[in-house]
Amino acid sequence: MKRLLLALSLTLSAAALAPVPVRAGATDSDEERAARWTEIKKTIFGDRAVEVNDAAVKIDAPVRALDASLVPIGLTLADKDNVKGLYFIIDDNPSPYAAHFTFGPAADPGEIKMRVRVNNYTNVHAVVETKDGKLVETAKFVKASGGCSAPMGMSDEEAMKGMGDMRMKFSDGQGGKPVEATLMVRHPNFSGMQMNQVTRDYTPARYVDKLDVTHGDQLVFHLDGDISIASNPVIHFGIKPDGKGPVTVAATDNQGGRWEHKFELPSASN
Amino acid sequence: MRRRAGNAVLFALGLMIGATAAAAAPADSPVNVPEPEGLYTGPPHGYTPATLKGATVIDLKGLEALLPEAPVLIDVVLADRRPAGFPADRPWLPTHRSIPKAVWLPGAGEAPLPPDREAAFLARVAALTGGDKAKPIVTFCRPECWGSWNAGKRLVAAGYTRVHWYPLGVEGWQDDHETTTVKPDPPWVAANGSPER
Repeated sequence: MKRLLLALSLTLSAAALAPVPVRAGATDSDEERAARWTEIKKTIFGDRAVEVNDAAVKIDAPVRALDASLVPIGLTLADKDNVKGLYFIIDDNPSPYAAHFTFGPAADPGEIKMRVRVNNYTNVHAVVETKDGKLVETAKFVKASGGCSAPMGMSDEEAMKGMGDMRMKFSDGQGGKPVEATLMVRHPNFSGMQMNQVTRDYTPARYVDKLDVTHGDQLVFHLDGDISIASNPVIHFGIKPDGKGPVTVAATDNQGGRWEHKFELPSASN
Repeated sequence: MRRRAGNAVLFALGLMIGATAAAAAPADSPVNVPEPEGLYTGPPHGYTPATLKGATVIDLKGLEALLPEAPVLIDVVLADRRPAGFPADRPWLPTHRSIPKAVWLPGAGEAPLPPDREAAFLARVAALTGGDKAKPIVTFCRPECWGSWNAGKRLVAAGYTRVHWYPLGVEGWQDDHETTTVKPDPPWVAANGSPER
């Protein structure tokens, strides 16, 4: 009996020491996905610890996306006053690092929405970096496939028409509530994985790599973008209500494109 | 008389152009896509026929029913290429999930294929079937992908008698079943020089 107990406790402690935590009933596939995430985490965050907290970010994503090249993602942050940055990672995309937001003093980082490309059924991860430098992760499984290589259904020239044009919609933001803003950028955000079906050449990657939104002289957010952001990027975000001046958006792409536009907030919010 | 002959020539020319255009153009409807005479050399992504002469077309149920016979599962999904212009400091970590036990031969359904790669494909299948031409084989990629149709066509032409084409591919499988991460088949990579070919 004593030996049995010892064997049992050895088994238990071995399970506790397993490098990849696997829940009861986990399959080989779950283990593979966990191993994949471990690899990505190491690549992006190095040796920094990433704490698991399913309540840190509410990830809204369709369980099954209608269009894998245009998957709407909503990220609601539980503790928005303690947020320095937000990473969005699509595990099974060949370039998993989809977006990194760094928030400035004019941001209300309670909710971010955007549209992304999803290459295959995959876990997605939102990782919050808190003001004291801690990393906290939340995951969700998304069913979509083929989004990175899906052609845009038009010629490259047509897709690039008006590149860099921007539009912005603001909510009223009355009564001290944050101003909700939706930024629309015309840009094909070519993934580099889209094949011209006739010539069989791949359109080179051309995507918005950096985007800064400022309110007056204060930063709302800086975005490091990637090929996983859908064409014609749409970003929904919050601005603190007490700022002054126009909202400026400055964007660049990886092929040297540079655009800047200014938008006036509706007077009710000033 | 001369004019009539001229017209006939023009007419024949028109037929030829029409036939060439039909062979290269993608079908604009998923209904009644005709089987090409030989391999399909048009755009790799597009509507595919409902049939493959000499092979059995299977759906998910058909695949599930065949699995107890341990068929050779051949996945010809193209490998993700690192895009031109992709920054060096960003992680590029392509991964591919497939039907468990599948052998991944990226690009084996491309057409035309240089003779040495065509030979490498047939040699690889010969090894996987142990030279048994009656061994069940399943070719697949993704939906609306001609690659697996071509791979099946090549195997029928090579004399395999139990070729199955599974047009729903990985997508048709992963709704009901687990997928597993696969790496490009090493002998195939060695024969091609690069998994991205």
